[in-house]
Amino acid sequence: MKALFPRAGFAAGALLLFAAPFLTANPFYQRVAALTLLAAISASAWNVIGGYAGQVSFGHSVYFGIGAYAALLAYAKLGWPPIAGLPFGIVASFALSIVVGLPSFRLRGHYFSMATIAIAALAGILVTNWDFVGGAIGVMGPARARSFADLLFRSSLPYYAIFLCVLAILLLFTRLLQKSRMGFYLRAIGSDERVAQSLGVPVRRYKLYALLISGAFTSIAGTLYAVMVGFVDPNSGFGILISVNMVVMAALGGAGTLFGPLIGAAILVPLGEATNALWGARGIAYVAYGVIIMLLARFSPGGLAELGRFIVKGWRRRAA
Amino acid sequence: MILLQLAADGLLLGAVYALFSSGLTLIWGMMNVVNFAHGDFVMLAMYIAFFSFTLLKLEPIVFVPLAAVLLFALGGLVYYALVRHVMRGPMLAQILSTFGLALFLRYTALWAFSANFVSLPSGLVGGVYDLGGLRLAASHLIAGFSALLLTLGLHLLLTRTDLGSRMLAVSEDRVAAELVGVRPDPMQALAWGLGAAATGVAGALIALFFYVSPEVGNSFLLLAFVTVCLGGFGSVPGALLAGVAIGVIESFSAYWLGPATKDAVVLALFILLLWVRPQGLFGRA
Amino acid sequence: MSITRRSVLLAVPALAVLRQRAEAAAPVKLGYIEPLTGNSAAAGHAIKQGIDLLVDVINKPYPQLAPLPLAATSGLPRLGGAKIEVIWADNQGSPAVGQSDALRLITQDHVVALLGAYQSNITLTSSAVAERYGIPYLTGESVASNLTERGYKWFFRTTPYAPQFAKLYFDFLANVAKMGKPTSKVAIVHENTDYGTSVAQSITKFATEHGKKIFLTISYNANSTDVSPQVLSLKSAKPDVVIFISYTSDSILYMKTFQTLGYRPPIVIGDDSGFSDPSFVTSVGNLAQGALNRSAYAIGKSGSLSYKMNALYKKKTGRDLDDSVARPMQGFMVMCDAINRAGSTKPEAIRAALAATDMPPSELITAYKGVKFNKEGQNFLAYSMMTELQGKTYVPVWPPKEAIAKLQLPFKG
Repeated sequence: MKALFPRAGFAAGALLLFAAPFLTANPFYQRVAALTLLAAISASAWNVIGGYAGQVSFGHSVYFGIGAYAALLAYAKLGWPPIAGLPFGIVASFALSIVVGLPSFRLRGHYFSMATIAIAALAGILVTNWDFVGGAIGVMGPARARSFADLLFRSSLPYYAIFLCVLAILLLFTRLLQKSRMGFYLRAIGSDERVAQSLGVPVRRYKLYALLISGAFTSIAGTLYAVMVGFVDPNSGFGILISVNMVVMAALGGAGTLFGPLIGAAILVPLGEATNALWGARGIAYVAYGVIIMLLARFSPGGLAELGRFIVKGWRRRAA
Repeated sequence: MILLQLAADGLLLGAVYALFSSGLTLIWGMMNVVNFAHGDFVMLAMYIAFFSFTLLKLEPIVFVPLAAVLLFALGGLVYYALVRHVMRGPMLAQILSTFGLALFLRYTALWAFSANFVSLPSGLVGGVYDLGGLRLAASHLIAGFSALLLTLGLHLLLTRTDLGSRMLAVSEDRVAAELVGVRPDPMQALAWGLGAAATGVAGALIALFFYVSPEVGNSFLLLAFVTVCLGGFGSVPGALLAGVAIGVIESFSAYWLGPATKDAVVLALFILLLWVRPQGLFGRA
Repeated sequence: MSITRRSVLLAVPALAVLRQRAEAAAPVKLGYIEPLTGNSAAAGHAIKQGIDLLVDVINKPYPQLAPLPLAATSGLPRLGGAKIEVIWADNQGSPAVGQSDALRLITQDHVVALLGAYQSNITLTSSAVAERYGIPYLTGESVASNLTERGYKWFFRTTPYAPQFAKLYFDFLANVAKMGKPTSKVAIVHENTDYGTSVAQSITKFATEHGKKIFLTISYNANSTDVSPQVLSLKSAKPDVVIFISYTSDSILYMKTFQTLGYRPPIVIGDDSGFSDPSFVTSVGNLAQGALNRSAYAIGKSGSLSYKMNALYKKKTGRDLDDSVARPMQGFMVMCDAINRAGSTKPEAIRAALAATDMPPSELITAYKGVKFNKEGQNFLAYSMMTELQGKTYVPVWPPKEAIAKLQLPFKG
């Protein structure tokens, strides 16, 4: 019975996730659902290096930006459908991981985080001053769909479906990873790097593997964002808020857990949209957003997984 | 002459960065907590300066200490209400909580004070000195000297006083400190209060020559992080040197390479330096 | 009385009748997207206050504003006196949020038309949603030239855009040159987001097309904490004219730094935005005397429509109306007038009415030569003049026909 429960819960969750946007005919809710999945993809991708391997990167917007620019440059420079930029984004993300990520792995804790912030900020400045990629003005996607391949839809449901597939692949991948030797190594690195090293874990190599996977999927998220929004500029591609959002979502749901980032995204994205819709006109959406994040961190520092246990415990105590 | 002016401007700007970062260094170094709301603490101090002058007609000699006192209280409050509960949690929880605090403070300010840019009248603390063509604003000079004083003061407090050694003891090892009879919570709260008070002084002084708006803290924050990291976390004199170095580099690279790329130069140097020396300029290995 | 199934059944048709009556005068909902948080929030809130004022003017009788369309009557007369209602959305400075806003306004709030969105890049993404849904979108504020180059059917722009400013500046400078002042060395100092970059590009393009050279171009980050190196560069290069394309915070810093470093360019032109922000005038107005600006709005002579509108705005906000608020207000008037002329809230009818707009200068708040759209949706009668900061306000100084004060050169600081 006990073993059955998580599996049934999992199936129910997956089914709900799949069906959720189809239960409403409301296009805005559908868009929020799609944006939630998009955020979940990047947060889950971040989770591979930031959660499991414990390397808290604040520079993942670099990968997001690369993916987004790859898509729209493929359109603007070559006339291809934006989605065709996807492989370019992935290749560029690999190159970046090796050239910039590898030397950064010497850094620990806050130093690593600060280096990644600096790298992302630097990338943003370089793109802003690079006219070939549109400079500060950014790059536009096709103004109207030329063919189906441009993936320009009025409804958000097709995007939802695409994002769901990508997320499913990513989570499956993460699940396999979790159970593999690599997952074991990464968790060892995450809990104490020095100990892991002394136990003979090839630390840098496995950190690099994790970053390659994480970066590639973040770049895919960037590409998908660009396909949906149809525009990217330095701030919406490389802005620090993009990295911070990934970290916050993963941390909120529970970093280093399979579904944590998805849960975080499922809370924060609708919350952000709802506060903006309700109070945005008065400019206090972020006040509410900030308070909620603070409270969550205050009462469940280990992410929502811990909060769940906390509530159950409290409920039992009262029942007793 | 231009080069001399650039160097002087760079030094003064660097002092402002150091001033801006002093409180951050203290909190970060003492408790290993990254305060994402630091820029917003500075913003609040700037508003305190602005409103004390425009509404209460207070002079800088009054409102600078006032800002320090109010921010001290805020720092203590934030520690007891929020930080204490997340400190021993994972690093991510700390990030989450101070990030939420930052949003809360910034947008409450936006709601309460409006998004309009305001600024104190120029020349509140004296005008501009012309030293044979080298021109320096009194307000910048005051900020520069205060940065020195504040750094020196914090450094002496930490290294030369009993209180300082108790605070350091708690930051080194909470349990051990408790065993030798130092109660950690008041010490940590005090460190937060002091860090915030230093931030209050910094904000009130920066307001003398800078505009004030709810978003103002944000424009300094990245460089403040770089300053603190470059100086080595927790090293107050390190942050001063790092701040000055950044100021001078920015000043010259903006003149020679164009202002759009000055941050790029600083960031690139910062990254390269970390790759070579992963513990910052003055950090312990 | 207890609620029975029967009474409920009876109540339903009654409710339907009630609803129909209410619909006759149902308010006409318009969506307005603005930056209400983030770096441009000050501008967003100022515009919001201007638009809120216009909503009041349209919905209540203001006979004293006579030639202004819809002012004398209550609501939209050709829609049975229906009131205008504006639903605001904060774009948070993000192109993706702007898109969500547009979608939410269209599908949740069922607005009949959209306006906004201040930042050109957000106008770009949010209008793409409107285009897909077939909802009219009008911008009275975004100036990047690419907005009207997309071949959109539902997009309209009332404000003058970047290439027109370039022409204005060079015409003005040619005139200054005739007065015997040197103007050949023109420097452009621009902030490096899309606004500064696109306007700088338009000015440079115009200059090259007319055989002129830009002497010096400096691009900088609008969030800069220090601008002295830029001022020192100017100081050593000694240009005749400096055109600033800046936001508020940086414009304020430039004026303060001019004072600190004791340098003043002979002619300073501020490209609207930061220089027009009322915070600029209140905080550094005394350091910016003689700064020139472009403006499509001037308070004008007592008794004029622009003067009366300023009086109302000032009463509401305590600040004078300026170009950056007046242009969106003008756009909003054009939109409401079109909906009234359409006599319907059907998108196609509104679009047709917008396309057929022909508003004479006498009905305008701004100094445009009229409002008439070309087939890209650009108002080809849009127009700006040169103003100069003298005392606490900008006064028109060029062209002579519009001038109410004498041009005073050089820039005094």
